[in-house]
Amino acid sequence: MRDFARRMLNFDRRVIFLLIAIVTLLPLLFPVGLPVRVSPEVRKVYDYIESLPEGSVFLLSLDFDPASKPELYPMSIALLRHAFRRNLRVIGMTLWVTGTGMAESVFAQIAQEAGKENGKGYVFLGYSPGGANVIISMGQDLYAAFPTDYHDNTTANLPILKDVRTLRDVDYAVSLAAGVPGVEVWYVYGKEKYGFELGGGCTAVSAPGLYPLLDTGQINGLLGGLRGAAEYETLVGVKGKAIAGMDAQSATHFLIIFLILLCNLFYFLGGGGGTTRS
Amino acid sequence: MSTEVLIGAWVATGLSLFMYSFLYKDNPFFKLGEHLYVGVSVGYILIITHYQVMVKKLYVPMVQEDKWWLIIPSLLGLLILTRFIPALSWLSRISFAFIVGIGSGVAIPRVISSLILQQVQGTLKPLVVSTGQGLSFFTLTNLNTILILIGVVSVLFYFFFSLEHRGIIHRTARVGIYFLMVSFGAAFGYTVMARMSLLIGRFDELILYASPDYGYATLVLLALIVAGLFFWERSQRKKPEEAG
Repeated sequence: MRDFARRMLNFDRRVIFLLIAIVTLLPLLFPVGLPVRVSPEVRKVYDYIESLPEGSVFLLSLDFDPASKPELYPMSIALLRHAFRRNLRVIGMTLWVTGTGMAESVFAQIAQEAGKENGKGYVFLGYSPGGANVIISMGQDLYAAFPTDYHDNTTANLPILKDVRTLRDVDYAVSLAAGVPGVEVWYVYGKEKYGFELGGGCTAVSAPGLYPLLDTGQINGLLGGLRGAAEYETLVGVKGKAIAGMDAQSATHFLIIFLILLCNLFYFLGGGGGTTRS
Repeated sequence: MSTEVLIGAWVATGLSLFMYSFLYKDNPFFKLGEHLYVGVSVGYILIITHYQVMVKKLYVPMVQEDKWWLIIPSLLGLLILTRFIPALSWLSRISFAFIVGIGSGVAIPRVISSLILQQVQGTLKPLVVSTGQGLSFFTLTNLNTILILIGVVSVLFYFFFSLEHRGIIHRTARVGIYFLMVSFGAAFGYTVMARMSLLIGRFDELILYASPDYGYATLVLLALIVAGLFFWERSQRKKPEEAG
């Protein structure tokens, strides 16, 4: 038994890769439709947008690049659909140079779907370098920080930005971030100084680091990872890629838990000192 | 379906499969994908920076709007490039001094206020809550407050190195370790979730590109890569034999 346990601890790890691939693929091909329970931190973002009167200014900063697309892209879609449905004035931007094209495409796609026109229903400002400095600059003069939008229209002349001169005129901002600059930077240099309400969305890796901000009320809500995106899709009532991925997410988690238990079992059966592959 | 979408799907599928081929072992497909990723990323950053920054934020305001004072930050930026010329590299210190000075001045008060003072304020919550029916000691909120208090204090003790960890200090620091372990576990759990999400995202697109609309891109390219790996593996095995 001891030899068997030790042999199992040293088996080819590519078997685990294969198992993960199978367990991920099967629910994607044959969805089960496991229920998605909405957590309070996600509901708070939804409720805040619901509470905004028509025509309020909503700033969505897509601070991520294609490497985090599976988690944050569905969030962007769900939030934009919600904002357009509420007829908010949506301002889009990014602090990540490598995410510029993707951010523009999601705005254009969802705006077209909602029948919104660039400059009237929404505006995508594009990318500006500097991270925190961009936020400070927007807090002083938005037209100076972004003299033109992504499509070279003069921002001062855009109907959607009428009476929106600084970040103080923004009613609600959400940063969907895969790292720095992201939610923390928006809080430190934006919300605290210019007083708008701030929500956050992030990759699952960053979520534990942002919960302290949520706990102290520095951000009013948080969408964490694919699960956060799926919960928001549930609230908006449109099934998207996040909900579709939740079955696979649950299945892979079950497999990983099972493998951890199995490895511990073999470790103890093997006498606890078995040589393991590095 | 437009040709560019179709080409994009085939390229995306091929590159995803190239990267996943590393799970078998390091191979030329993975290396090609890796180098392409680095090259394309740098090229993309250069193009976006050139147009969005150099043209829109520097050239146009300076030349078309007569904002000639922008020459000052431009010169400061150019001075950084003197790092590449050893004889002139001292000039870059002017720019760095400017960056460090402005950066510190802006960041220090904001970060202390937001990420230290407000976090401390969030930690110091009252243990006794006053309700309409008098004082309340043991509520669910209080339990969280007590946990936060014990966690913060014990972890701080763990990172307190000025005194030897013996007796009460050792026991408190030990509790701190348990809190740290729970924190690492939560962080690891979230990391697993994130990595699985990325896998799900790629698989989702690979399934989409396996459809007839995209010319069975995933299936065709998967077969080609598997065949390529097979022949590459065979050639690798032959090499030592030939050498021997």
